[in-house]
Amino acid sequence: MIFVVDPHSGVPLFQQLMEQVKLAIAAGRLQPGDALPSVRSLAVPLGVNPMTISKAYNLLQREGILDHRPGKPLVVAAIAEDQLGARRLSQLEKALRPAAALASQLAIEPDEAVALYRRLLSATKES
Amino acid sequence: MNVLEMRNVSRAYRQGEDVLKGLDLTVSQGEVIGLLGRNGAGKTTLLRIALGLLESQSGSVSVFGLDPREEPVAVKQKVGYVSEDQVLPGFMRVHEVIDMHRKLFPDWDEELALELSSRFHMDADQRIKHLSKGQARQVALLCAVAHRPPLLLLDEPAGGLDPAMRREFLETAIQLLGESGSTILFSSHHMTDVERLASRLVMIHEGQKWIDSSLDDVREGYCLALFPVSDGVTAQDLLQLPSCLSARERGDAVRAVFELDSATCRRQLGDKLQREEIQCQPLPLEEMFIELVGGGRS
Repeated sequence: MIFVVDPHSGVPLFQQLMEQVKLAIAAGRLQPGDALPSVRSLAVPLGVNPMTISKAYNLLQREGILDHRPGKPLVVAAIAEDQLGARRLSQLEKALRPAAALASQLAIEPDEAVALYRRLLSATKES
Repeated sequence: MNVLEMRNVSRAYRQGEDVLKGLDLTVSQGEVIGLLGRNGAGKTTLLRIALGLLESQSGSVSVFGLDPREEPVAVKQKVGYVSEDQVLPGFMRVHEVIDMHRKLFPDWDEELALELSSRFHMDADQRIKHLSKGQARQVALLCAVAHRPPLLLLDEPAGGLDPAMRREFLETAIQLLGESGSTILFSSHHMTDVERLASRLVMIHEGQKWIDSSLDDVREGYCLALFPVSDGVTAQDLLQLPSCLSARERGDAVRAVFELDSATCRRQLGDKLQREEIQCQPLPLEEMFIELVGGGRS
């Protein structure tokens, strides 16, 4: 499980970590029951304050994405299949929203934008 | 008990020219504070007063409940200090400097000292004067932290170091945070280091605290508003608004920093200035620093 942070991006580091955990779960790279690296083991190689990592973990716990049992490492919470699908979609939505705003700024017709997205999707699948 | 408490601290090097002007600062256990400010803002003076190397000319200072002036040794045993312009005796060999510090600190952790000297690939027989700037700084860091001080005061610890050495420095500080729960007060001009390490940000400007806030609040609580000069809004107009911290004209835009989140700022400015579509955006730490010191009210 590899995380990266970018202190230049203007997005708080704890949010960057939360997003990456969510993305890894949505993509199936982290499965329910999988353990997450401990705060301490992550802090030094990542080069961030351990508090930042605990903050990300705590918020993910509060959102029900991670599960903590006393004395055990943090694990990915069990989630229903349909919920996982919804999460995948919401990840994609987040990435597409700026693209939609740009399309409207550039006055590109929705049909044209959708056609472009379709082309990109099939091109990605082929490569 | 607070780790560090400064009340109304002032210091002038020449009469009438105060570097610090009645500054208050309270640091609690486990906080990591990034101290920002331009050269000459008073960061080094503040750190040296905390360590007892300099005396405050007013108010009071307490470190773990002790007055650094009255109990200098007790304070120094609880504090690790590294500064950019620290001078180690050039004629001594690396191991002699380390031996000297080992004797000074009863809580010296030999295991940590060995770990750091191997991480930094230190040559124990080398004379200090033959080390590079970065290598000498690493010896200073080892000597400052091997007694696992509960408070670390770092004055531009990574100043002048290459990126790889800066990263090693940062990782060492993070390791100490994780293992010993140290409290850290560090000054830096490297905003990315501040973003990675700090939990709280204190910006000093002209001898006073300008911003004192958690890093997350700084990111969410400040924004940059941009007005085209052709709109007729001037920097002076904006500085009249209560939440405006700085404003200046740059090129064909007036740039102003507000102590508001972007959405609130857009709404409030829209109401006040009777305008729609005001461009407000969150700003990275480095930009905020530049905007603030460049266009502040004084």
